[in-house]
Amino acid sequence: MARNTTLLRLASRNLRRYLRRTALTASAMIVGGALMIFSLSLGDGGHEDWIASGARMGSGHLSIHAPGFQASRKIEDRLSAEARTAAERTLGLPSIAEHVVVMVPQLAIGGLASSPTGARPAQIVGVDPTAEATFSMLDDKLVEGRYLEADDRLAAYIGTGMMEALDLRLGSRLVLTAQDAEGEISGQLVRVVGVFKSGVPEIDHTLVHVPLSTAGSWLRSGGDVTTIAVLLDRSRAVPGVKRALERALAAEITVGALTVLTWQESSPELNAAVRIDDMGNYVWQAIMFGIIALGIVNTVLMSVMYRRREFGLLQALGFTPRQTGGLVITEGLALTAISGFLGVAVGLFLTWLFFRNGLDFSFTWDDNFTFSGVVVDPVIIPLFSVRRVVQSLAFILMIGTLASLYPAWRAMRIDVAEAMKFER
Amino acid sequence: MNPMTTTNDQTAAVRTQDVWKIFAQEAEEVHAVRGVQLEIQPGEFTAMAGPSGSGKTTLLNLIGGLTRATRGHVWVAGRDLTTMSNRALARLRLEQIGFVFQAYNLLPVLTAAENAEFPLLLQGHNGGDRRARVRELFERTGLAGLEDRRPGKLSGGQQQRVAVIRAVVGEPALVLADEPTANLDSAASDQLLAMMEELNRDFGTTFVFATHDPRVMERARRLVRLVDGAIASDERR
Repeated sequence: MARNTTLLRLASRNLRRYLRRTALTASAMIVGGALMIFSLSLGDGGHEDWIASGARMGSGHLSIHAPGFQASRKIEDRLSAEARTAAERTLGLPSIAEHVVVMVPQLAIGGLASSPTGARPAQIVGVDPTAEATFSMLDDKLVEGRYLEADDRLAAYIGTGMMEALDLRLGSRLVLTAQDAEGEISGQLVRVVGVFKSGVPEIDHTLVHVPLSTAGSWLRSGGDVTTIAVLLDRSRAVPGVKRALERALAAEITVGALTVLTWQESSPELNAAVRIDDMGNYVWQAIMFGIIALGIVNTVLMSVMYRRREFGLLQALGFTPRQTGGLVITEGLALTAISGFLGVAVGLFLTWLFFRNGLDFSFTWDDNFTFSGVVVDPVIIPLFSVRRVVQSLAFILMIGTLASLYPAWRAMRIDVAEAMKFER
Repeated sequence: MNPMTTTNDQTAAVRTQDVWKIFAQEAEEVHAVRGVQLEIQPGEFTAMAGPSGSGKTTLLNLIGGLTRATRGHVWVAGRDLTTMSNRALARLRLEQIGFVFQAYNLLPVLTAAENAEFPLLLQGHNGGDRRARVRELFERTGLAGLEDRRPGKLSGGQQQRVAVIRAVVGEPALVLADEPTANLDSAASDQLLAMMEELNRDFGTTFVFATHDPRVMERARRLVRLVDGAIASDERR
């Protein structure tokens, strides 16, 4: 204990002794730490926005389907009434419901949309208009007309791409054709009540929202749905909620009545984009900290070379070579720990500065920029995360330790008798 | 006394048996210490003298375990240094040997008192015990009041006296002093040597000097002269 205290005391005083050198290295660490925590927070904020956008445009952070639906997108792979009831009851359990912002039933199938001008493939989704308005971003992307309402029957909400392709306008009639629950091809006449522009071409050209009741009677599926889409309070809750759902619905999953998919499974391209972006960020951080680590190696190694006699003296007085190396590592660690904490604090301050209004990148991309099927908001709000703070500090301390290893090894191998002759 | 005579006395403070130290220097070998046999009893006040290159500092380093013998054996307090691990050597230095160097070698980041108590800190003594022992030695050696000064704020003589306190504070069996007066003026040298004699007399600490300072040789009660790495004479007074 006394030796550890001695090491710490010597380390801290030596760092203060060479204040200018310490300050220069510390400032590099502080800037690096601040940039690290800020860029990670900004990256996480951006990713959270992408994920939320993807979830609201698609089938949520989590979606519950019949097992074959994800691949087939056919009405015969819909949830049974029992499976739907079990899923909705489970989503209401307190431990799960605390993370659920909204859950919506959807009857989603592939079909054809046609007008007197022509026909186009369509992703037809029967929705509960009231619930869907709180779930989806599409009602906010309205450019003409209105979104679906609870008492609508033969109404359709379509994208600008489809409107232009089929030469439609508000009030125009549109025929939707799809395979119904009994395997027959069936058509349904609807009228355009609203038009949206999401910015994502594949959505604007193909997606059609119709009332769930209309879809149920048209496709003879009654109250059945293909999907229960769930929006959570944050994407980080996804793994925990999925585990809880799978535990609670184990019986239904075992008999093949339903399956629970995460947004990563529903939107693998978005997941890949997030991971690639994260990886790019990590590579950048690694390069930056590699450069900083060289600075630390330089500082600590210079200190070791300059203090050969001092290390020789410590060994003459009874320090073992290992303790001498320990002193060097302690100095490196103390330097990186203090500057790392300061850097993270500065980074958190920067994060806080942009927490309310975000960082506006509209000079780089506009409101219509899309990426992996989602609309990317040019204003990124950084996301604070304890996990990132811990990760950053651990990384900085690891760099400090690694950068001190070689100088420590040199200090351990000092020839004491030679060192004591040094600078006489 | 025949300088080559040794005994098997395990109570000797220092005993060397046919100890050699050979340095490889470029293409040739330098025999810094050549077959030295020496025995120093506890409480002796011994000076090893000789011209530069005579091997006195190397022999002192061998006795202190700061360098390893090429062949032969070195015993300190009955323990053979040549067979000990680095860790055990460090422990032996901490508990049995105190060092005083020509260049004082105080740790610049510690105060005078912190430097003096450093071996006690490493030995695990508590703060009260450390402070009491350091205070007593500071008062005894005329350094009272300088405890909180950093080495840079002390004169050479004061720094060397702090170094001597550091060497004896842990009550080692042996204090090795390498040219301790070389950087001091006459008055400071006399003061330092008087202090060491007093500590030797009062505590029975064994002192071994490597020196070419006549004042040290005059005060030593045993004078070992080295020439070309070998003992040329060994005179007791």
